[in-house]
Amino acid sequence: MELFGSLQSLGIEGGTVAMFVMLLVLLVTGIPLAYVTLLVALIFALGWFGPMVVPLITSRVYSFVSSFVFVSVPMFVLMAAILDRSGIARDLFDAMKLLGGRLRGGVAIQTIVVAVILAAMSGIIGGEVVLLGLVALPQMLRLGYDKHLAIGVVCAGGALGTMVPPSIVLIIYGLTANVSVGDLFTSAFLPGLMLAGFYVAYVLIRAYLNPQAAPIPEGPAVPTSEKLRLLKGLILPLCVVAGVLGSIYGGIASVTEASAVGVAGVLLSTIVRGEFTLSLLRGAALQTLRTVGMIVWIGIGASALVGVFNLMGGIKFVSELITGISDNPTIILLFMMLILFVLGMFLDWVGIALLTMPIFVPIITELGYDPVWFGVLFCMNMQVSFLSPPFGPAAFYLKSVAPPDISLGTIFRSLLPFIALQILAVAMLIAFPGITGR
Amino acid sequence: MAREQSAPETEDTAGPIAEAGFLGRLIDKGGLLFAAGIVLSMAILINEVVLRYAFNAPTIWAHETTIFLCGVAFIYGGLYCCSHDKHIRVVLIYDALPARVRRAFDIVISMICAAASAMFAWASWIMVQRAAFRPDGSVRLERSGSAWDPVYPGLIKIFLLIVMAVMALQFVILAINYAKGRR
Repeated sequence: MELFGSLQSLGIEGGTVAMFVMLLVLLVTGIPLAYVTLLVALIFALGWFGPMVVPLITSRVYSFVSSFVFVSVPMFVLMAAILDRSGIARDLFDAMKLLGGRLRGGVAIQTIVVAVILAAMSGIIGGEVVLLGLVALPQMLRLGYDKHLAIGVVCAGGALGTMVPPSIVLIIYGLTANVSVGDLFTSAFLPGLMLAGFYVAYVLIRAYLNPQAAPIPEGPAVPTSEKLRLLKGLILPLCVVAGVLGSIYGGIASVTEASAVGVAGVLLSTIVRGEFTLSLLRGAALQTLRTVGMIVWIGIGASALVGVFNLMGGIKFVSELITGISDNPTIILLFMMLILFVLGMFLDWVGIALLTMPIFVPIITELGYDPVWFGVLFCMNMQVSFLSPPFGPAAFYLKSVAPPDISLGTIFRSLLPFIALQILAVAMLIAFPGITGR
Repeated sequence: MAREQSAPETEDTAGPIAEAGFLGRLIDKGGLLFAAGIVLSMAILINEVVLRYAFNAPTIWAHETTIFLCGVAFIYGGLYCCSHDKHIRVVLIYDALPARVRRAFDIVISMICAAASAMFAWASWIMVQRAAFRPDGSVRLERSGSAWDPVYPGLIKIFLLIVMAVMALQFVILAINYAKGRR
């Protein structure tokens, strides 16, 4: 029997099902996602078409690793890696004490504000959750905050890293959907702040309904000299934020160049603070290599798979399936959101973006929606995936630094109200697309 | 879901896993070179912004060079993650397995990954044949076709081939060492 092309007899329905089952089976056995997608892509390329389509896959991979916008990903990762290794975030948190003051729930709000500033500096999560878990969580627990409220604020706040621009989720979306990353950043700004605002409102409501959940810190007022000293912690981070977002929004530099400006800014800050060492830079750079290796190889595999699937006519087939469920565009949109929620429980956001967006974005455009708005919606949706059990990464990051008596179960239970707030934010974006300014 | 999420990557000292063997340690060492490439691209980008605004003299090589430096770092990063066992995987079932079965899984997983990498190395060879040779067989590296016209595309494609081949080898070594049960 001729091996090449033999899979074609399955038909597109059978082929899609076979591909899906193969992906699922290989994935749950614990094979790295990147190799699962690569293997399935090659099996289908050879089994459906034959050796002549193989160059198509490799050229897709080549164009994937050689795009200028993608250069901003290692930059933002490097920036976060340096930030994690310096005391910048800790000082920022201390400086924000002045803002919290004697407000009920002050420390929780302070944590969210710090999270937003950190999010405006870098574009990934992980480091941020760990930082807040080390700095903010112990303080809230010591003050007698409700455990669930404190944990939720740290995880949800840390996850904001990919919602407030700059964000690598938006960069990857921009690449797959062929939309301007600058536009995405502009549109995601208000929705990001809106989500942070929801968190703040939730903290205030909880704190005032049940004063035990967030006691006011006792002790003498902070003297003015101390206030001035703390304020210094604000200067450097705000300069970096101004440098990164200013050069993007001001049109001075491209997103990629702005990301390099950010790295330089954070590096300069460590030098000014006297924290810079070669081993700090070396550790940060190596961590960046690991992180981008992970992200890019998922991208390489997914990009190869989508290429083959598209050539098989699979994307057209799945698009017709999705658009066929209803004549009402809103229902189709909600159905997509549902798919993203479910995938977000099990898969990493990079995989989701690269596997589903080539299918979803053309449908969205055809339905008359704005792909930039949809990118923000997608990004908001991925916020849920960071927190949702059983694999919410934010929970695992926090578990690694939280006191041992806080179990993963406790963390996930604490996250439920925050997941509800994120879903509310997704609903708001669908109901009022104007929030993105489009 | 993922391996890397069980421990945050703040450990600078985290080396390659023991099963990666000598090749793994070599790959680990080489990582520094490509990590430095990322830092260098940052410097080039800053240099470019300064030249453009302060001296009104943008270069023609900055963008393509950063893409090249980051491109090879992206590709090498995958190899680096192999030796460090840092690729994202779904460990839902894997983590629930008893240690002995898990070892068997490790062997099979490594062999499947080796097969995937080897097939992909072959695919890149087809690409390199077009990007590095003239039809008559003499060497001619593919150029970018821009005003500066560097040979970066040809180099990246050859680099992808090398990395895929080394990666396949690394997975074979991993499979062998898992089978030996070396810890």
